[in-house]
Amino acid sequence: MHGVRGPFFIGFSFPFLGTLSVHLYRKERIKGGRALSQFWKAWQRRKETLQSQSLNLHADKSMESVSDLILSEDVGENISLIREELGKCDDLVIRRFQNKDNKDCAIFFLDGMVDRNIISDFIIRYTTTTDVTYEGPATNELEATDSLRQVIRNILSGTAVLLVDGNSQAYLNNTRGWDRRSVEEPQTESVVRGPRDGFCETLCVNSALIRFRLKDPNLRVRHMVVGQRTQTDIYVMYIEGLAHQPIVEEVISRIEKINVDAVLESGYIEQLIQDRRWSPFPQIQNTERPDKVVANLLEGKVGILVDGTPFGLIAPAVFSQFYQSPEDYYERFYIATLIRFIRVISITIALLLPSLYIAFSSFHPEMIPSRLVIAMAAGRSTVPFPSLVEALFMELAIEILREASVRLPGPIGPTIGIVGALVVGEAAVSAGLVSPVMVIIVAVTTIGSFASPSYSAAIAIRMLRFPVMILAGMFGLYGIMLFLIVILVHLSSIKSFGVSYMSPLSPLNLLGMRDLFIRAPHHLMKTRPSMFHVHDKVRMREEDKP
Amino acid sequence: MSQKQVSRDINTFSLWQQTSLIASTLIGVGVLTLPRTTSAKLYEAGWLAPLIGSFWVFLSVWMIAKLSDRFPGKTFIEYSPIVWGSAKHPRLGRWLSLPWVIGYLLFLYLSTAIVARVFGEVVVTSVLLDTPLEVIIITMFLLAQMLCMHEVDVLARINELLFPLILFPVLVIAIASFQKAEWNNMLPLYRVPGRALFEGIYETVYSFSGYEIMLIFYAYAHENQSKVKAGFYGIGIATFVYTLIVLAGIVVFGYEELQRVSWPTLELVKTTQVPGLILERLESAFLAVWVAAVFTTVANAYYAFVYGLRQLFNKGIQFQRIISAILFIPLFFIALWPQNIVDIFRASSYLGIISLYLNLGIPLLYLLVVFARGMGSKAKERKAGG
Repeated sequence: MHGVRGPFFIGFSFPFLGTLSVHLYRKERIKGGRALSQFWKAWQRRKETLQSQSLNLHADKSMESVSDLILSEDVGENISLIREELGKCDDLVIRRFQNKDNKDCAIFFLDGMVDRNIISDFIIRYTTTTDVTYEGPATNELEATDSLRQVIRNILSGTAVLLVDGNSQAYLNNTRGWDRRSVEEPQTESVVRGPRDGFCETLCVNSALIRFRLKDPNLRVRHMVVGQRTQTDIYVMYIEGLAHQPIVEEVISRIEKINVDAVLESGYIEQLIQDRRWSPFPQIQNTERPDKVVANLLEGKVGILVDGTPFGLIAPAVFSQFYQSPEDYYERFYIATLIRFIRVISITIALLLPSLYIAFSSFHPEMIPSRLVIAMAAGRSTVPFPSLVEALFMELAIEILREASVRLPGPIGPTIGIVGALVVGEAAVSAGLVSPVMVIIVAVTTIGSFASPSYSAAIAIRMLRFPVMILAGMFGLYGIMLFLIVILVHLSSIKSFGVSYMSPLSPLNLLGMRDLFIRAPHHLMKTRPSMFHVHDKVRMREEDKP
Repeated sequence: MSQKQVSRDINTFSLWQQTSLIASTLIGVGVLTLPRTTSAKLYEAGWLAPLIGSFWVFLSVWMIAKLSDRFPGKTFIEYSPIVWGSAKHPRLGRWLSLPWVIGYLLFLYLSTAIVARVFGEVVVTSVLLDTPLEVIIITMFLLAQMLCMHEVDVLARINELLFPLILFPVLVIAIASFQKAEWNNMLPLYRVPGRALFEGIYETVYSFSGYEIMLIFYAYAHENQSKVKAGFYGIGIATFVYTLIVLAGIVVFGYEELQRVSWPTLELVKTTQVPGLILERLESAFLAVWVAAVFTTVANAYYAFVYGLRQLFNKGIQFQRIISAILFIPLFFIALWPQNIVDIFRASSYLGIISLYLNLGIPLLYLLVVFARGMGSKAKERKAGG
C-alpha cells in the first residue's frame, strides 16, 4: 500500500519545487505575465495531482486493490485467497465436490446473478458423472485463467468459476442469468409508424438489437470498462470505412480518459465526454430506439451503449437532429416535411410565447389588434400583478404540475394533470389571479414543449424560457432579441467532436438542407450528409428511377 | 480532457460566410436615415445615390481583396510591417506601419461607439420610451463582448446565421410598402445639377462603411479566388437593399415629407400594413429584429478592432477576452460624447469622410508600395480555428 502511495507524494511536491526554482533562477528575465502563467500551470498541475491522488484512493479499495496474484494448485488455498479478497460476502456460494477423477473441486458464484440450472446440469453433473466422456464443464463460453484478479472480476460479473485441485487454471463459465427486463416499447420516444422495440438494461441484448438491423461485416464494436467501482461495460460502435476515423478515435480516447468511480447511466458518459460542459444544450444524443442508432451509424456517427441503461448515446450530434424523429424517414416525405415545420413552430412557441405575451402586454400594446387588446385588458383588469409576475407564476405552476405528474404512480398521474390544468386554472381565472389569455398561453406553451421528439433537447428549451421571460419583462421585444442573439452566439460556438453544432445551417451546406426543415424524398438523398466527414458518400446507387 | 479539433478543414470562411460578413456589417443603422439624407440633395432621384455611390465601394473592396491576395493568410496587421519594412530592418517596418494600423483600429473603435449610440437613440425615442439610453448601449456592448470571447470562426458563423434574419424584414417592408406607393413621386426622374449628385453620394458614404473589416478577415478566406467575388456579392446585396429602401421611402412619402422625419425607414415601417398579419404597427417588431443588424455591425467592427490589437501585441485569446472587456469602458463614454441627435449625425458624417479616406487611401497606398517593391506571394490559406 505504501509503495503505491509513495510516488504521489513526490508528484505532489515536485511541480512546485520545479517551477519555484525556475522562477527564482530566471527572475530578471521573466515578465509579469509569464510568471502568472507559470503560477497558473503549477496550480493546474497541483489540481491534477490531487485529483489523481483521490482517484487512486478509490482504486485502492476497488478492483485494482485486488492483489495481482497467481492462483496456486491447491484448492483449499485458492478458496481462502478468494474469501479473503471478497471479505464477508454472504451471497457468495462456494460449492465443493469431487469430480470423476476424485479430485477436489470448488465452484464459486454469486447468488442471483447466475442461472443455477446451468451450474447443476452442465458443470457439476458433467464433471461428476462417470459415463460422460467429455472432460470439463459443458458451458457455451469457457475460458481459463490463473490470475486472481481476473477470477474476482468474473465472479462479480456473474460467472461461475470452477477450481480443480492440482490445476492452477480456473475455469470461467458463462452462467450469467439474472432477471432482466425484456425488450419493450420505448417509453420516451414512441412513434406511430416504426419498430416498437426499445433498448433494455442489458448490454448484450442492446448490441444484438443493433446487430440484427445492421448485418454489415464492417460494424465494429469496441468493448471498454469505465468506473473504478461499478466496472461498467461500454460498447463503442461504428462502421469502419464509413465513419471518420479521427472522430471515432476522439470518442474512444475521451471515454478512456474518464476516471470516475461509478457509471450508473449513460448520462454520466454523456456529461463527461461532451465538448462544452457548461452548455444548456445537449451535444450528444441519447435514444431508446435501436433503429435511430442504426440510422445514425449509417450517417457516419458513433454509437455508445452502456450496460445497465436503456439509453444509448450517439456522437457527434448537431442541433437539428434533436428535432428530428426516425418516423420522419418512414412516412412519406410530404407529411414528414409538414411535421417538421410543425415541430419548428412548436419549439418556437415553447421558447417564446410567454415572453412575447409579456413584451406585447407591457411594452408594445400598440402592436396587438385593437379589439384583441380591449379583450385582453378586460381580462387583465382584476389581475393584481404585472404580466411578468403573472407569467412566471403560471409557468412555475405548470412546471410543478409536470414534475408531479411524472413522479405520481401511473393511474394517478394524468388525473393530477387534468385536475391541475382545468380545475386550478379555471379557479385562478375566476378568482381574478390570472387572466384567461395567460391560461391559454401557458397551456399552448406546455403542449408545444411536448412536441419535441427529444426529451433532453426539450429540457434546454424549457429552462431557457425563464431567462427570456425576465428579459422580456425588462426590455420588451428588444430583450427577447438580445437573448436570442446570445443563444445564437453560443450555439454557433459549440462544436461536437469537431462538427459545428449548427451545421448544415452554419457553415451553410445547401445539400444538407435537404434533410433539415424539409425531408426530401429518399431518391433525392442519394448521398450521406457531408458534415460528419463520411468516407463512403453514396447512400443509394440506383441509376434510374424505379 | 482533450478538446482537440477532429477536423481543421472547415475552419476557413466560405464564400457565403464572407458575403454575409460584409453585407451584414454594412447594413446597420445607416439604412434608418438613408432615404432622408439622400433625397435632401437629390430630391426625387435620391435612389440613384446608393446605386452610383456603390461604385467606389466596389473599387475599394476590390483593392482590399487584391491586397489580401498578395499576402494570403495574413491580416492587415500582420502584413503591414512586411510592406513597410525589409528583411534587414524588421523593426523599421513595424514603426513605419504603426500610424496606418493605429489609424485603422482607431476608426473601427470610434465607429463602434457611434453605431451603438445611434441605435440607442432610435430605440429610446421610438420603442422603449422609459429606458435610459445608457442601458441600450451597455446591452449592445455586452452582446459584442459575448462574441469577443470566442475565436474568429464563431464570428463567421454568427453572421451567416443572422444574415437572413436581417435581409428578410427589410425586404418585406420595402416590398409591402409598395402597396401605398405613389409612383408619380419619382417624377421627374432627374433634375438636379451634377454637383448635387456628388453631394448625394457623399451622404451614402457612412452607410457603406464597414467593409474595411475585411482587411483583417480576408486572411481566412476559403479559396483565394473567392475574395473579390465575396466582396462584390456582399456590397451588391447591401446596395440593392439601400436602393430599395430609398426608393420605397420616396414613392411612399415623397421627398418633401421625407425631410421632416428623423428616421424615415422607421416611418415607412409604421405606415406599412402587411395584409393578413395579425399584428398592427410593426415598428417595434422591426426594431427588435433590427437589433440583429446593429449587432452584426457593432460586434464585427469591434471584433476586428480587438482582434487587430491582439495581433498587434501578438497575444492569445485570453488577451482578447480581457482587453475587449476593458476597452468597453472608454468606448461607453465615447458613445455618450455627442450631446444631441444633431451632434450624432455630424459625428457619423465625419466618420464617413474618414472611412472614405481610409478605405480608398490605405489599400491604394499599400498596393502602390507593394507594386513598387515587387512583393507578394501565393501561399496557403489560413485556418480560423486558433
